Amino acid sequence: MNPKIERAIYIGLIVVLAGLLVSFGKKEIELQKQIPVTAEELYKKLANPNINIQIIDVRPYEPEDEDYEDEYLYYTDIHLPGAIPLPDCDESKAPEEALDQINPYAPTIIVSKDGDPEIFKKCAKKFKIAQNLEGGIEAWDDAGLPTEDGEYEPPKAGGGGGCL
Amino acid sequence: MSMIERVLYWLAIVILIIGLIGLKTQISELEKKTKQVQTELQEGG
Repeated sequence: MNPKIERAIYIGLIVVLAGLLVSFGKKEIELQKQIPVTAEELYKKLANPNINIQIIDVRPYEPEDEDYEDEYLYYTDIHLPGAIPLPDCDESKAPEEALDQINPYAPTIIVSKDGDPEIFKKCAKKFKIAQNLEGGIEAWDDAGLPTEDGEYEPPKAGGGGGCL
Repeated sequence: MSMIERVLYWLAIVILIIGLIGLKTQISELEKKTKQVQTELQEGG
């Protein structure tokens, strides 16, 4: 066979296979978005320093009045360590220091009060790879996993390490 | 076309096929999980 034709056949085959690989990869990401992650699974992922995940908390940031009973309503009352506040997935409602930390291309976990799939669907559009925390902050706290309270503090430069 | 070049092309093709098989297996598992989650959601509400 003519070497030029043979080479073209090989390259064509490689291009087709690589294209298939990319489309399969995209399909995998889409499917992953639909499967929520449990609190225990997320804890294991966060404890692994080789896995880089950002946690976005979409609950309202802080209470407007002090007359409420539900402790899971606001970010400042309770949140996952290192979680970035992005109330209602609306940048205009997020604290300024949090906006700088949001990376739409990083693997993201969306945390709401109770893991509402509708809230997740709305927010997942803003991130390339996103998963919902099943049961939200309520499930995380019920599982006895570490939490923080207070205002958002961006990570210190050069701090490194995981958030747990 | 040299033998080395031919071997390298085949090597690339084999690696891509293995990657495709791996991804396909993962996709099948994810599809099963997705169906399970959707069923749970429908049953739940």
